[in-house]
Amino acid sequence: MIPRLSRSVGLLLVAGVAVSAALVSAQERPLQEPDRKSTRPAPRTASGKPDLSGYWKGTRETKPVGNIGKDLPGWKLPLTAAGEAALKHNLTATIDPESLCILGGTPRHNASGLPFEVLQGANKVAFLYWYSYFRLIPIDPNRKHSDDPDPSFFGEELGRWEGDTLVIDSIGFKDEKVWIDENANPHSDALHVVERWTRPDYDHIHVETLIEDPKFYTRPFTYSRTWVLGAPDEELQEYACSENNVDAAHLGFGPGPIRPDGTRGYIDPAPLPPPLPRTQNPAK
Amino acid sequence: MKHTLAVLLACVAVVTGGQVLAHHSFAAEFDASKAIRVTGTLTKVEWTNPHIYFYLDVKDDSGASVKWTCESASPGALSRRGFKRGDLKLGDTIVVDGYRAKNGANLMDARRVTLADGRIVSGASAGDGGPQ
Repeated sequence: MIPRLSRSVGLLLVAGVAVSAALVSAQERPLQEPDRKSTRPAPRTASGKPDLSGYWKGTRETKPVGNIGKDLPGWKLPLTAAGEAALKHNLTATIDPESLCILGGTPRHNASGLPFEVLQGANKVAFLYWYSYFRLIPIDPNRKHSDDPDPSFFGEELGRWEGDTLVIDSIGFKDEKVWIDENANPHSDALHVVERWTRPDYDHIHVETLIEDPKFYTRPFTYSRTWVLGAPDEELQEYACSENNVDAAHLGFGPGPIRPDGTRGYIDPAPLPPPLPRTQNPAK
Repeated sequence: MKHTLAVLLACVAVVTGGQVLAHHSFAAEFDASKAIRVTGTLTKVEWTNPHIYFYLDVKDDSGASVKWTCESASPGALSRRGFKRGDLKLGDTIVVDGYRAKNGANLMDARRVTLADGRIVSGASAGDGGPQ
């Protein structure tokens, strides 16, 4: 007789082989990849500037994804009292705006685990996102921010080159239906974001982000991140976010539990029933 | 055996990257303490974004038919891992293992689907923070 534990392990492995075979045969490309070294220099445009164009994928080394406090000790954000209240409101009274197909905006998209694509022109640069969202940023050193920009999710974005660095300076953000990251951290309409984008080599794009929001944060803080270039035939595909939102009626407030590692999810979930061996599949 | 298990774990890691990539957090919709198995007849398939849904008629303990809604990943994510629209045929009997909605609805996160031909496929939204 097979001991119970061994039999369970055996059943798990049988199912594991089946699942593995299905996954391997499909050759699914991961949405994130391990970081890798590059010996190729960054490509440049006809004007001599680095070309940031490419399909960019997050690295496995980027942790915790979706947390704008990634680079802060203990991922502790410097919230003001108003910021603490806004966080509590987000956690207890708001559904993740992105799950309701509202634009994630800046800087949330930079903290996302999903790939994105950059198309760079001479006077504009486009960032294309997984949910078929985009932002189109003018590159013009003479352009100034408006006195009273219409609030938007990506803000009023102005691009300029500082040497080989593309600087995007953004103000004019919305303060409703926005989470600054996937952990439901808040931002106000006083948000000011300065992104400094570089392409240090052919296979990497990097951003240094300065985040200022004196209403909700006691001091400015930074968020930096590097992505790796996808394969030449990888590209964004259609994603009609609002096509069939059955889930919307069932979503609770906030992102759910935040684990000690700064990510979202339960610490000790109940195990699924053991996989069915093929011979016990009632459909057979 | 160790090698086989390693292959399985590697595949899971490839799919999820161990990080959150999904449209919404698993925990915003589903209860990780309510792991369930549902066996039923496939009555409807919605191969749509942001999630696919398929619907089952399930016999309860009294023999009555109860409708269940099963939520999986996006069409793109599923097709990239080899789970295609054509794998779900109306009238098939399929087995779905997953987690029930927090609000108690007959809605579940279909993390593991045993198809009528016996294949086991992952329906999980990759890296949504849900149980691996």
